[in-house]
Amino acid sequence: MSRRSGLIPAALIVVAGAAIAAESERTGLGHQATAEELGAAGYTVFPDGKGLPQGQGTAREGKAVYQQFCAACHGRSAQGEDAAALVGGRGSLTSERPRKTVESYWPYATTLWDYIRRSMPYESPGSLTNDEIYGVVAHFLDLMNLVGEDDVLDRESLPKVEMPNRDGFVPDDRPDTGG
Amino acid sequence: MPSMARDETSKYTDLLPDGKARQFTLVMDAKSVITRPSGEQKLDRPGFCEIRGLAWSGRGAISRVEVSTDGGGSWTDAEIEGPRYAKSFTRFRSPWRWDGRRHVLMSRATDDTGYVQPTLAALLEARGRATIYHNNRIKAWEVHESGEVTNVEA
Repeated sequence: MSRRSGLIPAALIVVAGAAIAAESERTGLGHQATAEELGAAGYTVFPDGKGLPQGQGTAREGKAVYQQFCAACHGRSAQGEDAAALVGGRGSLTSERPRKTVESYWPYATTLWDYIRRSMPYESPGSLTNDEIYGVVAHFLDLMNLVGEDDVLDRESLPKVEMPNRDGFVPDDRPDTGG
Repeated sequence: MPSMARDETSKYTDLLPDGKARQFTLVMDAKSVITRPSGEQKLDRPGFCEIRGLAWSGRGAISRVEVSTDGGGSWTDAEIEGPRYAKSFTRFRSPWRWDGRRHVLMSRATDDTGYVQPTLAALLEARGRATIYHNNRIKAWEVHESGEVTNVEA
């Protein structure tokens, strides 16, 4: 499964590219994505740090960014409000009401970086600088007691942060019901 | 190595009672739903009423669909209409004569791996309550004496 899920998207991109080229020839609409356009959208950050850009930030710097751009939805201390909780829930996964947060559930800190750059802030994704994103991620990790307030996060140090639920996953062994 | 993006890690993973989570749960097991009669529809009068619906499976083609009009007490094979393709909606139908009484309608799909769509109880037994995606339990609709059809967990 894991190997497949890594390969399928690459195949889809190739097929989609060919389809767009054929379509633009027939209708005169659209154009082949340029390398520049792909560069803006085609980034991916991997757990080993591959894809992380230059830049750096600390929790102390990121706290101000968080309060300005994130707290309105995620709550003053990322405990969740209109939007999902990012911190808390550690130790709750075996309980009756598990709380799946970034802190309690996500296996890799790099995912935070990738998702924030891709999708946040909600109204203006892509508007934060790389330094601001490193800072906000550091702020979250500080709230989770995984880094110190003045620890510098960058492309080298972020992948080294070990999330609490790093080993909490098992392969998909369904079907799990006999029917 | 996968990129472990947000949806890969936090959505397409199913948390189990022991605190471990299944990873990369992208496949949907066999599932089906009766689309007629179904919730918010109303049967005008007792008499002939063809039960229709859709079945699908992420693991292969649909090989069988059974229909129950008594809440799972007894099952009748539905007729499967073509085409039948893997991972594709597959139409089924089953003739029924509504007698004007209360009935609970259900459908149960089997795919060509032999997997049979489970009851909610079987799913809860196997997975607990924390999984969110992949709820493929046998779906029930209640037909009331008034002819109204509503959602029901049977």
